[in-house]
Amino acid sequence: MWTKPWNMKEGFLIGGGLLLVGLLLQVALGPIDWSLPAWPVNLILLILLLAVIGAMYALRRKVYAFEWMMHSGAAVPCLVYAAALTILMGLLPQVRMGGVPWLSQMLSFWPFVLIWIWMMVISALAALNHLLRWKVREIPFILNHLGVVVAIVAATLGSADMQTLQLTAFTGEAEWRAVDETGRMVEPGIAIELRQFTMEEYPDHSPKRFASDVTVYTKDGKNVSGTVEVNKPLKVNGWKIYQYGYDVMRGSESAYSVFQLVRDPWILWVYIGIFMMLAGAVCLMFFMAPKPVKS
Amino acid sequence: MSWDSFIWFALGAVFLWAAGAFFAWKERKALVYACTLAGLAVFFAFILGMWISLERPPLRTMGETRLWYSFFLPVAGIIVYSRWRYKWILSFSTLLSLVFICVNLFKPGIHSKSLMPALQSPWFAPHVIVYMFSYALLGAATVMAVYMLIKKHKTTEKEINLTDNLVYVGLAFLTFGMLFGALWAKEAWGTYWTWDPKETWAAATWLCYLVYLHLRKAKPVEWRNACIILLVSFVCLQICWWGINYLPSAQGLSVHTY
Repeated sequence: MWTKPWNMKEGFLIGGGLLLVGLLLQVALGPIDWSLPAWPVNLILLILLLAVIGAMYALRRKVYAFEWMMHSGAAVPCLVYAAALTILMGLLPQVRMGGVPWLSQMLSFWPFVLIWIWMMVISALAALNHLLRWKVREIPFILNHLGVVVAIVAATLGSADMQTLQLTAFTGEAEWRAVDETGRMVEPGIAIELRQFTMEEYPDHSPKRFASDVTVYTKDGKNVSGTVEVNKPLKVNGWKIYQYGYDVMRGSESAYSVFQLVRDPWILWVYIGIFMMLAGAVCLMFFMAPKPVKS
Repeated sequence: MSWDSFIWFALGAVFLWAAGAFFAWKERKALVYACTLAGLAVFFAFILGMWISLERPPLRTMGETRLWYSFFLPVAGIIVYSRWRYKWILSFSTLLSLVFICVNLFKPGIHSKSLMPALQSPWFAPHVIVYMFSYALLGAATVMAVYMLIKKHKTTEKEINLTDNLVYVGLAFLTFGMLFGALWAKEAWGTYWTWDPKETWAAATWLCYLVYLHLRKAKPVEWRNACIILLVSFVCLQICWWGINYLPSAQGLSVHTY
């Protein structure tokens, strides 16, 4: 062990070390508060992450560990740890408070997050390595490895900037106020007026379709009319408006409609990552799978 | 079309698939393709009939997803046959498909017409169908892994190559299923990923298959360990598909219970 070339054993030890460091951080700092990396902290973290990855790449000839990290031998242990912790997360109930200490809040558990960061760094280094010795046949590898990094880093760093509000609009009244997840009143800068709520039912009275005809007013003087229904959100001034609920006691006679307002400034990057991964999956099938052997 | 007529379509399809499998042993290629494709056509006719009479794609209940799984197993079988010429693959896919057909015959589950608004989306069909196709391929890869682990004679290059291919294509479709789900969730609920129990297990399954892929690259000679990874991965896949319905940790938390 620790003699060159490194392979998987060294990776399992490094991963074990990360778990240990994570546990120490958990004891010292407590669980991760994901509301902290809000803008501009997340931008700073992103620059830091990119700088670290760039530096590691630049020093790969000097520091053997960085060279090794780009290879599949480093990926295996990292993926094993990530899979094991994710399975653990699936086996234990995930609740906001209580449950199994630390493990029932897996997303705020330092060891889990450190392993995922390690995975992102490894994947980014491998992608960079293939990107910089550019050849057309490297595209599938780059799409898969860079795609997953772009999607997950943007989703994680962007989560604190994502706003989810609830707005209840009554028929004929423009409502400017909404509440956030903690129940605090906020003004999203748009108002929704419910013109008409419609609902269709199946014979067994379960809802078949419910929709709200609305007019949305914005602070800058626009007004947009449209229909909001489940699976068909309306987009106004950076907000996506989703049909969320209605007065279930009164059904189609509901005098109000509840909307969810979502703003996610990082979503474009998540989509870019997702589409790279989709293209990467196509490549996985057609270009990366080994050629069939017949005899 | 209703579940009452399922038995006739199922019998017809299984008979044709079995004939295809028989001709594979006899090395009558043209008849293999003719019978298997005819069986698929009969089975798909039933799916189509259900689609029309339910006024929605038959993808909602567990019974309905099993229907697609029964359909995709012979599809995966004929693809493998056309590329690797394994004589046994169609017998196997027919048998496995028959198991799922029998489950549906004896325990069809709830098959109501209603489709809740959240499921009324153009993403619904592709999300579930690519997943079912992926499950069929990865199921075949699992059988290969078991076979390679327990058989007496030496494992050949061809067997490992087939397993690798099944996993590569299966993982590609698994990725499609997962990401289509994310894109759909954004339209339906405003978030693309919430670590709902189904999503957590989907992520775990996906990571396990990635372990296999990277292990095959890192240590090509250690195919035994890779086969064991495939078994673990397939357990995760089953938990993700139906196991979470019985998992205490997922009770009342998942938006994916139908």
